[in-house]
Amino acid sequence: MRLRVLPKGQVPDLVRALMADYRVWGPKAKGPQFAFEPLYDPAEMRLDYNISILSPKVALQPPQERVAVFRMDGGFTVEPVVEAEPTVIFGMHTCDLHALALLDRAFSADFPDAHYTERRQQALIVSIECLQPCDEHSFCKSMGTWTADSGYDLHLIDLGDAYAVYVGTEAGEALLAKYAPQARPAADAEVRRLNEVMSAKWPRFPHRLNFDAAELPALLATAYDHPIWTELGDRCLSCGSCTNVCPTCYCFNVIDSPELSLKEAVRLRRWDSCQLDEFARVASGENFREARAARQRHRMFRKGKWLYERFGELGCVGCGRCIRACLTHINIVDTFNAIHASQHRR
Amino acid sequence: MSKSSVAKPKVAFFDFASCEGCQLTVVDSLQTHLDLLDAVEIVNFREAATLNGWDFDIAFVEGSITRPHDEERLKRIREQAKILVALGACADTACVNALKNLQPPDEVRRYVYGEHADWYETYAARPLSAVVKVDAVIPGCPIDQEEFVEVVKALLVGKKPPIPDYPVCVECKLKGNVCMFHIGKVCLGPVTRAGCGAICPTYGDGCEGCRGIIPHPNENAMEEVLDEAGLTLDDIMHRFTMFNAYREVETGKW
Ligand code: SF4
Ligand code: SF4
Ligand code: SF4
Ligand code: SF4
Ligand code: SF4
Repeated sequence: MRLRVLPKGQVPDLVRALMADYRVWGPKAKGPQFAFEPLYDPAEMRLDYNISILSPKVALQPPQERVAVFRMDGGFTVEPVVEAEPTVIFGMHTCDLHALALLDRAFSADFPDAHYTERRQQALIVSIECLQPCDEHSFCKSMGTWTADSGYDLHLIDLGDAYAVYVGTEAGEALLAKYAPQARPAADAEVRRLNEVMSAKWPRFPHRLNFDAAELPALLATAYDHPIWTELGDRCLSCGSCTNVCPTCYCFNVIDSPELSLKEAVRLRRWDSCQLDEFARVASGENFREARAARQRHRMFRKGKWLYERFGELGCVGCGRCIRACLTHINIVDTFNAIHASQHRR
Repeated sequence: MSKSSVAKPKVAFFDFASCEGCQLTVVDSLQTHLDLLDAVEIVNFREAATLNGWDFDIAFVEGSITRPHDEERLKRIREQAKILVALGACADTACVNALKNLQPPDEVRRYVYGEHADWYETYAARPLSAVVKVDAVIPGCPIDQEEFVEVVKALLVGKKPPIPDYPVCVECKLKGNVCMFHIGKVCLGPVTRAGCGAICPTYGDGCEGCRGIIPHPNENAMEEVLDEAGLTLDDIMHRFTMFNAYREVETGKW
């Protein structure tokens, strides 16, 4: 893997140059928190952010988008709408990189999703290494997502006055050559510095899961009827915040909205959440996940078991967003730890 | 295709105890969505025109019912209308009108009408659904323009109007907002019906619950959230009282 060094002072120039040819998304301050949004000025970008409220998937799977237009004026035509543009996502953390790899699989399995795929193909990823945990809720170390050696085009690591830049793809190499020609190969001293920075990082990150995450699918297989689901269900508001902030959730609802003339209609899709009362209501009127407890179990099983069975990756990257967002403190780490503890007491 | 070749549904607007702000929002909608007037024929709309026809298919009714003889008029509207829509929070939940339900009725009447209190036969404010069958509601104080237009579209194609039964938090998160509870404010979004685009939290204020409570709120969990935010049980009741007093009196809960 090629390694370059880019002086920090040149990052704004790089972003400005990219903005001329791409829609550049980056972390910006939003009150006391941070959000991934399109950048209009390189100075808005806060690479020192802890974590974004919504994951940067917003750039690839927007909360709401148009997917088709129907015309019903003398005949019936359907025109797919794919809203995509050349995009750079700048400053993605590694937990979100791992989540992106999962979304890539989900949206390309069986029936590849044209909307996501087109945006993804036009997107370049510039990620950045976290050197300390974003806060007390992250458990990326337990989930093995606290660093990454692929999934990015370029990956930055803060060396103090410069960034070490790992080049992950040819597209990343070309991007650097065109937009940051000042980036140079790393000198020996810089490689040593990089090693020091990374060695200092490891002990700062705690393990929060009390067992190996690889055991999760097998552990949950024993826990379908665990009493903890009722307990969580009793506390859950069914507000959907935990799934809406999750970088690996991808469920959506499809809504057709006609024009008043009834001669044209747009088909929209909008994020949906398995935690909402009506999510599992089917055409017959039956709701097959009516109890909050069943919905909580469903979410935890997706994260710890079902996505692993389907895609070979756990559905949780340990970003802790769902824990921060939950007003009743439903905590996925505590839940997994509690199940582990109870199954090992027997 | 000439416009007259399709019979346009005849629409009427009526009001009871309310500020008429929801009808004003309808008037605004007519200006921003000119095609509304192509899609329907308005036959009765005191707020906006000198029309008083009684031959209508869809009745939009604003306001709460506060007097026995309101009931007669509402029932006449119901008999005539194929579809009756409760327009706005007063019609849907009795909104702020129901604040008076928390006080002894005689005192309230004397406070408002003074020495002529006996001339007015008023009773506890109630939503339309307490008197007649309501086919659809447009919640909110005031209603949301876009939602009004969406409901009209749904009625035109014979579909169930797309009124969300999930809470405001959903729309708030989709907007990527900072949660009010994370900056020391209080918000009723977790139990309040969405559809307003979470407008209050988006502009930095907690939701006050003006669109009414979702169908299956987790009351205990919400109380714990508010308790943790420093509210006493009394504070909690007061928070909900503003827009949800009718529910409070009917259910004994907030
Ligand atoms: S954020 Fe918490 S309360 Fe809301 S649906 Fe998720 S688990 Fe339930
Ligand atoms: S389940 Fe929670 S911690 Fe895991 S990836 Fe989703 S939001 Fe992050
Ligand atoms: S969870 Fe880990 S990788 Fe993700 S933002 Fe926090 S510290 Fe960084
Ligand atoms: S600000 Fe209110 S509506 Fe928004 S997420 Fe927080 S509690 Fe829910
Ligand atoms: S956020 Fe709450 S109070 Fe504000 S408009 Fe929406 S429902 Fe009403």
